[in-house]
Amino acid sequence: MTTLIVERAGPLATVQDLGRPGMLAHGISASGPMDRDGFVRAEMEAGRACGAAIECASSGIVFRIEGGPVHIGFAGGVFTAKRNGVPLDWPGGVIAEDGDLIDVSAGPRGNYGYIRFDREIDVPLVLGSRATNATVGLGGFEGRALAAGDRIALGPLIGERPVAEMSADQGQGTEPIRFIWGLHADLFSAALRQRFLSARFVVTARMDRMGVRLEDAEKVFADHRILTLVSDAVVAGDIQILGDGTPIVLMRDHQPTGGYPRIGTIISADLDRFAQTRPGTSVIFQSVTVDRARNTLVERRRA
Amino acid sequence: MSAAQPHLLPHIPTLMPLGDSALVVKYADRFDLHANRAAIAMAGLLEARHVPGVLEVVPNLVSVLVRFDPTETRFGAVAGEIRLLASLNRTKGGTPQRHRLRVRFGADEGPDLGAVANMVGMTPEAFIAAHNAAPLRVLATGFAPGFVYCGIHEEPLHLPRRTDVRPSVPAGSVIFAAGQTAIAATPIPTGWHVIGRTDFRNFDPDADPPTRMRPGDAVTFEAVS
Repeated sequence: MTTLIVERAGPLATVQDLGRPGMLAHGISASGPMDRDGFVRAEMEAGRACGAAIECASSGIVFRIEGGPVHIGFAGGVFTAKRNGVPLDWPGGVIAEDGDLIDVSAGPRGNYGYIRFDREIDVPLVLGSRATNATVGLGGFEGRALAAGDRIALGPLIGERPVAEMSADQGQGTEPIRFIWGLHADLFSAALRQRFLSARFVVTARMDRMGVRLEDAEKVFADHRILTLVSDAVVAGDIQILGDGTPIVLMRDHQPTGGYPRIGTIISADLDRFAQTRPGTSVIFQSVTVDRARNTLVERRRA
Repeated sequence: MSAAQPHLLPHIPTLMPLGDSALVVKYADRFDLHANRAAIAMAGLLEARHVPGVLEVVPNLVSVLVRFDPTETRFGAVAGEIRLLASLNRTKGGTPQRHRLRVRFGADEGPDLGAVANMVGMTPEAFIAAHNAAPLRVLATGFAPGFVYCGIHEEPLHLPRRTDVRPSVPAGSVIFAAGQTAIAATPIPTGWHVIGRTDFRNFDPDADPPTRMRPGDAVTFEAVS
């Protein structure tokens, strides 16, 4: 029996697996890793088949291993990881023993780090998934973010299963974020859409698993007036504009429907990279066609 | 897209990409009962059709979300199937279920009942009677776990939302605005008028499926004390 005893956890440390897609009609978004690529890579770094991950944000997590040994893989952004005070590689892997203290804290890059084990995290499957949706209190560890004092049991070794293969690195995040014009793009004037393509937006610290607020430094949407729209489907990556002109990118724990206009949707191949973009970083949006987005995704999966 | 434009042919949908892994089959730009029925019918047809590569079909108020795996299919292929289905003008789907909902109207659990009755020019008792007079249809789900929009009330009962939003109302809250009555199965933020509460919870994460009310179902409201 191996147990993780949480000694300190930032507010956004949660258990995540690939999520629970297919539940939108029941009012539940899929959740799952903010950076799916980082999640998959952490298993590669463990070098063994792994279960669900602990996803931590820049506020990090510290936990002690009881039992073990356990293979651990780390990936997603570049965080600082230590075992008993000794620095570890990130991305990287380690075999932790009984009593080891693992400390993950913010590093030079990224907002979300993934910690995976060669054992399943022993939390109940809720609607087919161990992913936490803390907004609605569903799944994961008691439906909430991890906190100091939590004892997280790990199951038996997962054993033989092919370790996920990995695509190429997604880069440092300085390239434009590509998007497809959205459900309500036609409600924005051509002049405004043109400015949307050239303006820089700044990622703010007001980010969580539901959404990321952007600062509209060039006031592209300053004169945008709220429109009462009939509630319609929302997907992760939607760029919605609030009534006061604030752009918000909706992320993995988004509400399944919404009534604010959405000018575009970030393509699947760029959403992980966007999720890892640090507050204070400026981003530029570049429009692509549906076919281009699809080809990018297909190439990424083949790589 | 102007407000004055009538929905001459609401059964001919507009198909729009929503990112690279979904499309929206849109029947109207604003709430419209015909569009709502068309969306629910299309969702039923699409679910029965099992289009290759399609992962999820979700009816909303006036549209259908279709999620697909872009490495298995393409926007154009899915859109083609949908246009074909739309042209057939058929309907399909399960038999609508009937639900009876016992609601405690007013008092602490329905703090806006008095104001709502006042705005429509009725006594609270008369409002409750008018509200419960006829069964409503479940128009859509999806806003929150187990949340349902029901409608549509007769014109005299149509009211706008409140000007302010309550950050959280309890599970079971029965809320009212825009000619509709909605039922919250979990705590939610809302700008709608809170008129009562029910013990019914349309959400059980341990059940399969986790919700019981589906779009198109009939809901009869009954006042209890």
